[in-house]
Amino acid sequence: MTADFSMQPRSQQEWSWLVAMDLFLGGLGGALFLFFVFLKLPAAVGLLSLGLVTAGGLVLLAELGHPARAWRAICRPFSSWISRGVIFVLLFLVTGSLTVGPLLASFSWLPWAPDTLGGKTLGMIAGVSALLVTLYPGFVLAASPSIPSWNTPLLPVLFFSNSVMGATGILLLFSSIGFWSQSIAELNALATLLLIANFVLLLVYLLVLGNSGISAKESVRRLREGSLGWVFRWGVVLVGTIVPLLLVVLLPSAAALAGACVLAGGVLFRYCVLEAGVYVPFALT
Amino acid sequence: MDGPENPGAGKNQGSLRPRWGMAIDLKRCVGCQSCTLACKLENGTPPGTFWMRVLEKEEGVFPLARKVFLPVRCNHCNNPPCVTVCPTGASYTREQDNLVLINQDKCIGCRACVVACPYQVRFLAGDSKGYYGEELTPYERTAYQNWQPRTAQKCTFCVHRLDQGLGPACVQTCPTRALIFGDLNDPESEISQVMRERFRWQPRAELGTDPSLYYLP
Repeated sequence: MTADFSMQPRSQQEWSWLVAMDLFLGGLGGALFLFFVFLKLPAAVGLLSLGLVTAGGLVLLAELGHPARAWRAICRPFSSWISRGVIFVLLFLVTGSLTVGPLLASFSWLPWAPDTLGGKTLGMIAGVSALLVTLYPGFVLAASPSIPSWNTPLLPVLFFSNSVMGATGILLLFSSIGFWSQSIAELNALATLLLIANFVLLLVYLLVLGNSGISAKESVRRLREGSLGWVFRWGVVLVGTIVPLLLVVLLPSAAALAGACVLAGGVLFRYCVLEAGVYVPFALT
Repeated sequence: MDGPENPGAGKNQGSLRPRWGMAIDLKRCVGCQSCTLACKLENGTPPGTFWMRVLEKEEGVFPLARKVFLPVRCNHCNNPPCVTVCPTGASYTREQDNLVLINQDKCIGCRACVVACPYQVRFLAGDSKGYYGEELTPYERTAYQNWQPRTAQKCTFCVHRLDQGLGPACVQTCPTRALIFGDLNDPESEISQVMRERFRWQPRAELGTDPSLYYLP
């Protein structure tokens, strides 16, 4: 009993792999849809982004203690980021589907083609909701005052940048089957830029945590040492950042492998952030 | 009188609603865990769930080593982060007395409140498992009917007892009277008097949660 009742710092145990997958898939799908809308990519990209966000929602449902009551999650949009997120996801799935629909052969009869006023309006709403879907996962974590490594404005920025990088990973992975209609050199350049920017943001995040309170420092220590440190160093940094960076710069023909590495790194990054979420320990003063 | 036997019998006759709170005298706490057990008996919580517990820590080195104790439980904050993050309104503040409670029928089991609580005093109830193997004891069978598996759980300040004019079970049990419970809005209550006389601090006050729990060092 003494061990359980000690005052030592402990990390949260509630959110793990499933939540990491939900955060990853939601952000990834939203960011991919942004590429789809703004770069006018093929309908398959839009469909995939809708599928990813749907999959993220299903994973979240599986994580809930009472999935049948999930409809209640839209009740508190003025205070809860989970509530807002569910509303963003629903709005995105509706407007995104309506935007992608006319591009598909079997639904080409729909009157709101992308070049019509209705189509443009829908596309804009879907784009904004996709942006919100990409942004909200970081805010869900940042809203917890109990965990200093989450409760920082840097985390939503980092999650957003990682999601955009992950979307580039999808485009790299499927570039050979026509997901990217422009030159592969442009995609590699974009991926290089995002990989470097994301890595710099990650370093800034760790640097800020390392210079914060005892609990944030403990989070950084857990990311550097032990089994979680192993996952972070080899999974997030090496496989998720350095290897794809080398591939897109030195071996452009291995774009699919680089994309797969970016995606693996994205999942592991979220897992590491969750596992390294250390509560502020109890103090006697 | 405003002791644990009759916390609602204060002299707060003004317009202020009661705000139940607790002061914990750390000089009196001997770490006996009576409060932990009283809470378990009163509320029938399952293994691994402790709405009330006394943390312990060793300080100093031999021959001057000693153990220090810190009873922790839901702080019934005035600005509770667990309520803010709840997407369904299952976690709420009861208007009549500022108690932070959970409507289990609304809880979807997302764990956001468990994660958001800076005091680590929320639990997600597991599926009903007893202390003595697979089969529940008659007491456990009865007690477990009070909570739904896979919903958030926490200390209620024994709201069912408060509504009957009684104090929380832990307060009644504490052999050293380290737990002082009462109405923070009643200037005549024992807790208000103690708080006027003693230095006290609120846990993690810097977060702006304004806990209704004070430690008296």
